[in-house]
Amino acid sequence: MTAQSRVAAVVGVGHSDWVADWHRVRAGKRPDDSYGYAATAFRNALADANMTRDQIDGLIVGPTTAYERMAEVLAMNVRWGDQADAVLSVVQACMAIETGRADVVALVYGNDQRSVGTQYGGPQAMGGDAFLSYIYHAPWGMTSQGALYALMFRRFSELYGVTERDLGQVAVAQREGSARNPHAIQRKLITLDDYMAAPYITEPLRLFDYCLINDGGVALIIAEAGLARKLSPHPVYIEAIGRYDLNTGATSLEPRLQDFYRPAQQAVAEQIFGQSGLDPSDIDVLQVYDSFSVHVPLALEGYGYCGVGESGRFMAEQGIGLAGQLPTNTSGGHLSESYMQGWNHQIECVRQARGVCGARQIEGCRRVHYTSDVAGKAVSVIYGT
Amino acid sequence: MQTQTTPPRVLGLYDEPFWRMMAESGRMHLQCCTECSTWRYPPGPACPACLSPRADWTPVSGGGELLSWVTFHKQYLPAYPAPYNVIAVRLDEGPTIISNLVTPPQGPIIGQRVALTVVRMEDGVALPRFALAD
Repeated sequence: MTAQSRVAAVVGVGHSDWVADWHRVRAGKRPDDSYGYAATAFRNALADANMTRDQIDGLIVGPTTAYERMAEVLAMNVRWGDQADAVLSVVQACMAIETGRADVVALVYGNDQRSVGTQYGGPQAMGGDAFLSYIYHAPWGMTSQGALYALMFRRFSELYGVTERDLGQVAVAQREGSARNPHAIQRKLITLDDYMAAPYITEPLRLFDYCLINDGGVALIIAEAGLARKLSPHPVYIEAIGRYDLNTGATSLEPRLQDFYRPAQQAVAEQIFGQSGLDPSDIDVLQVYDSFSVHVPLALEGYGYCGVGESGRFMAEQGIGLAGQLPTNTSGGHLSESYMQGWNHQIECVRQARGVCGARQIEGCRRVHYTSDVAGKAVSVIYGT
Repeated sequence: MQTQTTPPRVLGLYDEPFWRMMAESGRMHLQCCTECSTWRYPPGPACPACLSPRADWTPVSGGGELLSWVTFHKQYLPAYPAPYNVIAVRLDEGPTIISNLVTPPQGPIIGQRVALTVVRMEDGVALPRFALAD
């Protein structure tokens, strides 16, 4: 991947009303479908950017909606389009801008997973057509995303001495952020004792290690850097991008169980810190794709924020809460804010860098590192002002 | 560990011999590359080491090392009431297989030796599971 430092910048972010829709869906209503949530988020992103639709010439839609229908709903005639997950949408937008395929790209995502009952485990688990690991082991009762991470954490815990109580630091820290975030669905502070008292789902993981399942949408508008400076009073630049995939033995979970995805994260760390001239100590806020809490200690170690096997002590002593050395998932993340499959993390990166996060704002935040390790694809973006 | 019904198996184009030979012989056979002798699981169309399409279905020793284990406390599949365990085993031949331990796992057992035991389910499926070897 070429050096894409500060070629493009985010000029607008928006999301649907996750909290109100959470309550509506729990009351048995279907407020919108995936396209409707995406359209709401897109209107909000346009308003945030103080832009109109006709200033946009590229469109990327999330994996939960069809590109063609989304483009029709939004009535977007564009000269470049694509479909990708959250972080790869940011990557694709930067590549389109860098190669001159587009100047301003809208990224839109909507998901009605709660109101339509999307299953991430059991007989109707989604994703099996793409990732065999989600369905192949059903004869032995192996199903659900959480169980994959439970298997990973059991081995990690036993090899390195990172305990279940150490892992609880993730859920506790993220509630510090969500408690001060009006957009978060779960805002009640919890303690380590609360964490330990919650029931196991797939042991060794407990209730608070699992993400929410809710409806909603997210949108971002990314512009070529020179244009972004004219369009926005507070552009947030993409400082660096990195990616490395581990696919060998994926169905049998080998990259997870033998390597904890660490070689991929180490390769990505070299890319992003090399491109930007930064190192982990320059990062003010970390955002980690957290379908399960386990992602967080693995990312801390994989990207060199602490040594291998030291994430338990790092979380307890240096801290990943709002007042910690490395505030992580400051919005509450997927565990407590909203499960928007990495999309809500992108807009939290932008808002922290802009300094508009109110009670959960990290003082003096200039650079935010986002990372995900979904299905063996380690991908990172550094956002900066 | 339940022995009644088996949840639907994924039976792609290359999977059938694995289950048929398990039922017929009571042993696990895996594809072994005719060109470079690399073992392959799950069954598939090409060798991950050399990309050769040629393979021979060959019996494995049945020995392996326990990589990890979990206990499900929530029921997801009709055939598997909770609690039950799932394990990951690295076979001596190389591939990793997801399975069950026939006795409830407890304590620091990661790294221990395990041995294959083929369980005849009441629905007729021969299901490969494992027991601690010591």
